[in-house]
Amino acid sequence: MLFSRQWLGDYVDLPDTEELVEGLTRVGLNVEGVDVQEGDEVLDLEVTPNRPDCMNHLGVAREVAVRFDTELRMPEIAEAERGDAGIEISVEDLDDCPRYVGVVVDNVTVGPSPEWLARRLTSIGVRPINNVVDVTNFVLWEMGQPLHAFDLDTVAGASVRVRRAQKNETLTTLDGVERKLDPGVLVIADADRAVALAGIMGGADTEVKESTSRVLIESAHFHPTVVRKAASKLGMHTDASHRFERGTDPEGCAGAAMRAAHLLAEFAGGEVRPGMVDVLDEGRCWHPEGNLDLDRLQAFGGVEVTAREVERILAGLGYDANRVDGGWRVTQPSWRYYDQEAFREEGEVPEMWPADLYEEVLRVVGFDAIPATLPRISQPDAGSSLTFLADRSLRHRIAGLGFVETISYAFESEEANQSFASILAQADPVEVRNPVSESFRWMRRSILPGLVEAARFNQRYGAEAVELFEVGHIFSVDGREVDALGLVTGGELSTPWDRDRGWDFYAFKGPIEDLLPNGSTFESAELDGFVTGAAAVILGANGEQVGQMGEVADSDLAYPLFACELTVDSVARPEPAPVIPPSRYPAVTADITLTHAADLPWSEIERAVNAQRAEELSEFGLKDRYDGEGVPDGAVNTTIWFRYNAGDRSLTQDEVNSFQQLIRSRLEEEFGWQAKTSN
Amino acid sequence: MSSRATIEAVAEHRQRFDQQLAEVSDPAAWDAVRVEWLGRKRGLVRDLLSAIGKVDADQRSQYGQAVNALRQHVEASLEELQRRLEESAAGSSVQNLDVTLPGRAIRSGAVHPVHRVIEEIVDIFRSLGYSVAEGPEIEDDYHNFAALNFPADHPARDEQDTLFTRDGRLLRTHTSPVQVRTLASRKPPIRIVCPGRTYRNDNDLRHSPMFHQVECLAVAEGITLGDLKGTLEYFVKQLFTKDTRMRLRPSYFPFTEPSAEVDITCPFCQGSGCRTCSESGWMEILGSGMVDPRVLAAQGIDPDRYSGFAYGLGADRVAMIRYGVPNIRQLFEGDVRLLRQVTS
Repeated sequence: MLFSRQWLGDYVDLPDTEELVEGLTRVGLNVEGVDVQEGDEVLDLEVTPNRPDCMNHLGVAREVAVRFDTELRMPEIAEAERGDAGIEISVEDLDDCPRYVGVVVDNVTVGPSPEWLARRLTSIGVRPINNVVDVTNFVLWEMGQPLHAFDLDTVAGASVRVRRAQKNETLTTLDGVERKLDPGVLVIADADRAVALAGIMGGADTEVKESTSRVLIESAHFHPTVVRKAASKLGMHTDASHRFERGTDPEGCAGAAMRAAHLLAEFAGGEVRPGMVDVLDEGRCWHPEGNLDLDRLQAFGGVEVTAREVERILAGLGYDANRVDGGWRVTQPSWRYYDQEAFREEGEVPEMWPADLYEEVLRVVGFDAIPATLPRISQPDAGSSLTFLADRSLRHRIAGLGFVETISYAFESEEANQSFASILAQADPVEVRNPVSESFRWMRRSILPGLVEAARFNQRYGAEAVELFEVGHIFSVDGREVDALGLVTGGELSTPWDRDRGWDFYAFKGPIEDLLPNGSTFESAELDGFVTGAAAVILGANGEQVGQMGEVADSDLAYPLFACELTVDSVARPEPAPVIPPSRYPAVTADITLTHAADLPWSEIERAVNAQRAEELSEFGLKDRYDGEGVPDGAVNTTIWFRYNAGDRSLTQDEVNSFQQLIRSRLEEEFGWQAKTSN
Repeated sequence: MSSRATIEAVAEHRQRFDQQLAEVSDPAAWDAVRVEWLGRKRGLVRDLLSAIGKVDADQRSQYGQAVNALRQHVEASLEELQRRLEESAAGSSVQNLDVTLPGRAIRSGAVHPVHRVIEEIVDIFRSLGYSVAEGPEIEDDYHNFAALNFPADHPARDEQDTLFTRDGRLLRTHTSPVQVRTLASRKPPIRIVCPGRTYRNDNDLRHSPMFHQVECLAVAEGITLGDLKGTLEYFVKQLFTKDTRMRLRPSYFPFTEPSAEVDITCPFCQGSGCRTCSESGWMEILGSGMVDPRVLAAQGIDPDRYSGFAYGLGADRVAMIRYGVPNIRQLFEGDVRLLRQVTS
C-alpha cells in the first residue's frame, strides 16, 4: 500500500527517510520499498489485515508520532449538527449497517480538482477523475473512511434505504457491469431500485457527472462480514471493500462526511446543507476494555518498562488508560474495535485479553530492546514421534543402498491417480475441489505415479539408469492417511569397465528383500500398472498385503522400469533382538544341482529344503539357473548352495555328505525331472 | 666341496651365507640358498658336521659348537626370510597397476535436500529438549483455522489460499494444526517441533502448491517474549552461521500475539546488500510470536497461568539458500542430476 511522505508530513514531523523506514518497520509497518518522485518519496508499506486503521495517512502518521514521540496534527473538521437535510435515510437491519451518515452539498460545480489534490492522489497511484470523486478518494486515503457520492437528483424520492437485495434484482455498477444480486448482498436503494452495492461500488445511474449539482455524500459503517461475503460472491474487490472487510472506524463516519463536504464547498463551489442525517445503532459499543498490569507486562515481555512510558504509548495510540491498583483499566479506540469484533456475542464486546495490550506496548517499546533469554524448563519433553524417526532411519538406509530420494506432489491427474492400484484396501481417492490445475486434482492413493513420472523425467534427460525412492503419505477418502515407501529402478550402467550392472526384476527384488523383515513373501498377481506375469503382491509375516512390485506397464519408456511400494510400517526396523553368536568352527559348503520342470516355483524348493533341514544347515540359497544345452525341453537346472556350521564342533565331510544326501533325495523325489516324466 | 675343517672356516662360511641371503628377493633364489646350505645330500652345513672327524681332537668340541650355531643361524634366517617373502607376495608384490585408472563406479544414494534441512532443524530442537510431533496433511477447518483464531469469513484466511477437498476437508496450509492437536491432548510444559508437508493454492515461479514447514511450540509457566527471542537467536546461529544476526519485526498472525517476522542477515552478502535481499541486507526467514491466549484457552489451557511461543519456517526455502537452488519447483522434479549433488 502506497503512502506519500509529503502527505504524511501534513500530520506529523518526519525524521529523514532512512530513519522513518527503520521506525515504521520496527513498529510493525514493514517498508517494502521507497520510490523517489519529483519533490516527494512514496513508501510502499505492508499493512497486515489486522490494521485497517493504518490503511490511510493519518493512521500511519499516528504510528510515526508514537514511535518518534512527537505530536500528531489532526486536520480541521467542522462540527456536525445532526438534522434531516431534506432527505430520508433508513436502515433495514442495524447489524448489517450499524451506522449511515448522509450529508448533502448543493450547487456543486463538477470540474477538475486543484493541482495539489490531484498530485496527492497521483503520487499514490490513484487516478484523478473530477473534484467530487477526488475529494471522496482523498478522504479515504487521509482518514480511512470509504465515502460514496451520489448525484442526488438521480436518487428517486431523495430517499435512501440500506437493505438486502431481492432475489434476481440487478444493478449496473460504475464499471458498466450489470450485476445479478440476491439477498446475500447488501444494497443502497432509492424509492425505486438498488443504486449502489453497500461498501463495494456505486451504481452507474446515480454516478456524479459533469451536470451534477447536488451531491449526497454517504459515510457509513457496513459490517465486515456482510461486505466480505458480498464482494466474494460478486468477485469484486475495491479500495472500499478492502477496508470495510477488515473494519473501518464507526465513530469516524461523521467527521469524514463533514471533511469531504467542506472540501467540496472549498474546491467545487458547493454549499453544505445544514443537518447531517445520522442513522446509528445507539446501543452498540465500539470500545472494548481490558486490564493491563505493569508487573505482568514486564514478566511477559522479559523487559523493564516504566509506567510513564506505558501511558505515553497508550495515549499516543488513542487508548484511554485509567490507573487502577498495579496498572490500568484500558479502553480501546473505536478505530481498533475489530480486534474483538469477531468474538462479539449477542452484541456484547468481549473483554480484551492482557496479551492484546502487551502487544501494543511492546511493539512500540521495540522488540530490539528485549533481552534474549531461554525458557527455564528443567525436564526434556516426553517422547518423539515414532513416524518421523522411522521415516528418517528408513530414508538413510535406502540412500545407503544407492537410491536417490525424491519428493513428488501429493496431488496428481486423474489418469495418474488411476494408473496404479493402492496398497490400501478399498482406497477411493480424495478430490481437491479447487485444484491449482487439472493435473493436481486428485490426492495420491499410491506413491508410484509420482515416482514413475520422476523416473520418466530423468530418462528424458538421458539418465542411463535410475534408482529413486520416496517416503510420504498416501490418502483415502475414508480418512486414512498412511506413510508409504516407493522405489523405482531401471536401465543399466553400461560400460564394461564398470562391469555392466543392469536392473531387472530380480536385481530390483534384492534391495527390497533386504528392507523387508524375515517371513515376508511374494505372490504372483495381476496388478494395475504392472506388466502381466512380472508383478507380485508382497505379504507381511502375518499374511496381510503390505506392498506391490513389478515391471511398470508403460510402452512410452526409454527402458523398462521396475517399481515397488510398501507401507513404512512393514519395513520399519523391529525392536532390537539378541544376536545368535556365530560358530567358532569353520563352515563347510556344498552344492546340489537339480533338474526339474521349468514352472516349478523356487518357493517350493525352499519349502522342501526347509522340511529336510538339519540343525547344522546354517544357510542355503540359489547359486544359478541354467536351461541351455543338455537340459531337456521344459526343464531347468537349478544349482543350490548350502553352508553347514555347527556351534560345538568341526563338521566332517562325511557328516555334510549325509545331510546333503537326504536333501538331494527329497528334492529328486519331489521335483526330479525323471520322476516327473515317469508320472 | 672341500672345506677346511677349522673354526675360522666356519666363521667365513657364516659371513658368506649372510651375503648370499641379502641378495635373495624371490622364492626360487631362496630355495637355491636353502638347498646349498641345508640340503640333505650336499648341504654345506651337513658337510661341515661330517668333517668333525678331521678336526684336532682338542678342538672338536669347540668346532662342533660353532657348526651347530651356524646351523641354527642358517635355519632361523631362512625361516625369517621366507616369512617376509610370503608377506610381500600377499601384498603388492610385483604387479604393474595403472593406479590412475578410475575405480569401478558405485552410485551412492542421497537423502532429499529438503529432508536434510528438516532433519537438521529437528536435531537443533531435540538438542534443546524438544520432541517431534506430527499430524495429518488432510485436515479439518477446526484444526487448521478456527482453533487457531481464524474466525470464519475473516480476511486473514485469504492469505492462506486454501485447497479444499470435495468431502469438506482441506489440505493443511501450515503445520500449526499439529500445535492444536498437541495442546488438546497434553498438559504443559510442552516443547515440540512439527515438521511436515503443507499446501496452498499458489503456483508460480516463486511458489509451489506443496512445500514444507517446520514449526516449534513451547508452552509453560513464565515463558517470555525474551525466551522467544533467545531461542530464535540460538536457532538461527545453529542453522546458518554463528555470525548470523537477526531482527524481529512486529507483524500479524491470528494465532500469535504479539507476532513478529524474523529477518536474518542475508546469507548471500552477509548483510552488506545484494540483489537477493533487494539491497536491504536482511532476509525474511521465519514467522513467530507468543501463542495467542485464545488459542490456549480453546484447548483448556489457562492463559493466565501459562504462556508460550511458536515459530515456523519453510524448509524448502532454507534448502534453496543452502544449496543454491534457484527455483522451488526444481526441488520436486526428482532430477537426479541435482539431487545426487547434495550429499551433506
